[in-house]
Amino acid sequence: MTESLAFSGDLSQRSVVAALVVAALAVALLVFEVVARRADGPARVRVVGSGALAVLLLVVAVLRPVKVFERATTVGARLVVLADTSRSVDLPSDRAETRREVAERALASIRTRFRDVRLRMSTFGRGAPAPLAGTLADAPPELSSDLFAALESVARDTDEAPQAVIVLSDGRLERPVDDAIESSVRAALGRLEVPVHTVSLASRELADAAIRSVRLAGSIVAHQPAKLEVEVACTGGLACSDVPVVVRELHLDTPPVERAGGVVAVSDGRGRAALEVTLDRAGRRILEVSLSPPSGDTIAENDRRYVTVDVARDRVRLLHVAGRPTYDVRSLRTWLKSDASVDVVAFFILRTRSDDVAAPQDELALIPFPVDELFTKHLSSFDAVVLQDFDAEPYGLSIHLRRLADYVRQGGGLIMVGGPNAFVSGNYAQTPLADVLPVTLRGITPENAVDPAAFTPGLTRVGRRAPVLESVLSLLAERWPEMPGTNVVGDAREGATVLLEHPRRTTASGAPMPVLALGETGSGRTIALTLDGSHLLQFSSFAAESSGRAHGAFWDAMLGWLMRDPRFEPAVLELPSGCVAGTATTARLRAMFGEPGAEADVTIERMGTGAKVKDVHAVFGDRDGLIELPLGVLEAGGYTATVRLGVQGRAAPSRHDFACEVGGDEWADPRPDPNRLAAIAKATKGRAVTPEGIAELPLPQATHVVAERRLKPFVPPWLWTLLAACALGGHWVLRRRAGLA
Amino acid sequence: MARRRPRLTRRELGLAAATALFGASGPAFAFGEDGAFHARQLLTGTRAPDRRRRSAGARWALEVVNRTSSPARLAPSTVRADGPALLAEPFAVWSGARAPEPLTERETLWLRRYLGMGGILLVDDEEPNEGAFVKGAKEQLARVLPDGSPISIGDENVVFRSFYLLRRATGRVQKDAKLEAVVRGGMTQIIFSPNDLLGALAREPGGGHPFEATPGGEAQREQAVRLAVNIAMYVLCSNYKDDQVHAPFLMRRRGSESP
Repeated sequence: MTESLAFSGDLSQRSVVAALVVAALAVALLVFEVVARRADGPARVRVVGSGALAVLLLVVAVLRPVKVFERATTVGARLVVLADTSRSVDLPSDRAETRREVAERALASIRTRFRDVRLRMSTFGRGAPAPLAGTLADAPPELSSDLFAALESVARDTDEAPQAVIVLSDGRLERPVDDAIESSVRAALGRLEVPVHTVSLASRELADAAIRSVRLAGSIVAHQPAKLEVEVACTGGLACSDVPVVVRELHLDTPPVERAGGVVAVSDGRGRAALEVTLDRAGRRILEVSLSPPSGDTIAENDRRYVTVDVARDRVRLLHVAGRPTYDVRSLRTWLKSDASVDVVAFFILRTRSDDVAAPQDELALIPFPVDELFTKHLSSFDAVVLQDFDAEPYGLSIHLRRLADYVRQGGGLIMVGGPNAFVSGNYAQTPLADVLPVTLRGITPENAVDPAAFTPGLTRVGRRAPVLESVLSLLAERWPEMPGTNVVGDAREGATVLLEHPRRTTASGAPMPVLALGETGSGRTIALTLDGSHLLQFSSFAAESSGRAHGAFWDAMLGWLMRDPRFEPAVLELPSGCVAGTATTARLRAMFGEPGAEADVTIERMGTGAKVKDVHAVFGDRDGLIELPLGVLEAGGYTATVRLGVQGRAAPSRHDFACEVGGDEWADPRPDPNRLAAIAKATKGRAVTPEGIAELPLPQATHVVAERRLKPFVPPWLWTLLAACALGGHWVLRRRAGLA
Repeated sequence: MARRRPRLTRRELGLAAATALFGASGPAFAFGEDGAFHARQLLTGTRAPDRRRRSAGARWALEVVNRTSSPARLAPSTVRADGPALLAEPFAVWSGARAPEPLTERETLWLRRYLGMGGILLVDDEEPNEGAFVKGAKEQLARVLPDGSPISIGDENVVFRSFYLLRRATGRVQKDAKLEAVVRGGMTQIIFSPNDLLGALAREPGGGHPFEATPGGEAQREQAVRLAVNIAMYVLCSNYKDDQVHAPFLMRRRGSESP
């Protein structure tokens, strides 16, 4: 406990000074007055003396001096250490160790150098820094290195302000950018005026060829060529001239398809090429861009980049093939033609070989069905194919069914609509196309391939909740019209979603027979509708209740689901921190009916092979429709996550493609940047050092912290006031006697 | 392995046609037949349809089945204009020899709803020389669709090339080479036939024709049958043949867009 005196216990230093100045002025004026009036000698002394005493007592009465008793300690300075944990610190350093290992060593040196300093160790990557728990090796790598955001967070921290900041990094930072380092750092720190010292983890450039960046010039629209700008860089003295580059599109269970290729001419270590890419399928697509490196390349992982592109669709290009004209065909065609976003190419079989048209060919408005041309040359140009009541055999489609199945696996959409010539009756059983349908056709003979008995389709539990039926159910009030029979199909395939089922018929397994089923196959989607009566939603006494709008709502949803319209997806899967190959990845699942207790099954499959990588089962908790899913450690490549939400029945699948990279942008430019670190230090009057120079960093001064403070007045304040009043009274009497007013 | 096609055989068609000729009809339809072409006879007011033309609908259906891949109802039914049954299917034929009775408010309402949902109506005049029925029907339908004025349509219209390439309209007589139609939203919704199309199609139980086709005889009747088939195909495919004409161009354009 220390004891000291203070002019005042409650007034600020400024107020004390002001009071003393006023008092001094008052005494000076008094002296001036006495001298100017020429009072005699003893009276002059008495007046000035009493006046000075009165002023002094008045000042003391105002300030009320106190004794201060304090209990205080001296603590070490506070210092914030920001260690870069972006993916680039896993690159090699100047020696046979990674930059992360160098950072670990530097942290140990800092702990030694600043052992009397209160250190707050944090890591930075994306957003605010995270406290460092354990070693740097345990810190998950980030796909970003935003020092600006980290400094900004330190400056805004409401805790005790640090006296210095030490940054450990390789200088390959996302922010601050090169051309505005000083202003950026100052802006980030704001009112926190402390030095930022930097420790450079590497300085040597590696001999390496890398895809520095892949940029899309504008957006990608399906079927339209787009420019993909690929930048290649060679560093560390690696000899590069012409570097071959290939762009391939990944599919789930078929090999990647080459979409573009070229040679990048590298000059002064850098080169660019604009490759023309045309993607046929709308939706999220994964492109693999790779280069063939020259010999001497150090880092193989940055020779291959994975780019996720959202392919927009100008218009849905749809091939509508119908086996015979009926009101069902009419209704679907009328709806398709009424939708300006759908570009329909239709082929209807108007005449069979057995029909007697009673006219020569030149009097007919008929042309041959160009089946070979359509299903070879032009198939990939369509987003979806509708086979409505169409027999594959007599019109030569059978030989193209394998191609059509491949088209679906590569991302095309397929709808098979029922009728006497569909499914088994249409000769699709035991064909390659049967393998991609969401229902099986096994064990059904042509003799029992149709059931002519009228029935009203029943909604499954999933069907009641599925976004894809939401609008039509709202128009129909969950009632469906009676249908005049159905094609007979088998069980829904594994992972398919049954939305409508037959109320009486069952499959061989005993399950209700699917009437409307949705399925995922490879990268594409398929729909099986075993009815030929959807026209009853458009034109019938039943349809009149909804003015025929239910038909449009139904097909809009079917086509929308087929084209992966987000409105009809039952679940959305996001990777908030991206996916870093080789490290644990966490996904966030948002479901439209993820009420507590609902279950979700997520299957992760490797694109290219379709190999199952992981199955994750989760149960929704309290958070409304939101759940965190650990996907485990994934290798570099493209992946498909298929989400099935369990709602007491078959799951509703929703598919999400994503890519994992080892280094991503962080490894695209592996060069360390000590100059940037030096500029950051200079902008804040800090010092830039290497790990070996940490001992040269200045020690911040310790902080004096008062733990207890007590005040005691010399005399009670009223006594100072009384004495001041008496002194003023005495002064007044002496002035009068000296002849002063 | 022989596979039984659900399509009807010629013998079955013949039996069905015979059944239709004798006025029987069945409401139940097998799978695949519910969406079949169905030339329903529209009834308004108190008048009954002409007995001798009653077979025309069945004949029309038979010709559609024989000549095209489309199914058709071989025993067409009648439907009243003043009830919800009108909305059961998108096609009806309204014919008569004299000016129709004024439509009741209820008939007007249901016909408006029918056409509003996209239904197609063929108005056929049984007495083309007088033309009173088509004239009267136009007046009545103007009340149903105040914004729908008939226009003349010829071989540029898809109805004239929906199956056969036709140069002119015809029927039992050849009053006018063109048809008239009310076109709404690009779709031909009401077709006015001034040539007694049903008269050309009608058959007697013995197989003969109750009406002579004049002046062209059987060749003219064949042209009338072709027009009927075209109308059926238009009802079932709408303007599909307009697409078909453009399909090769679409393909070429698509080809030029692809690498």
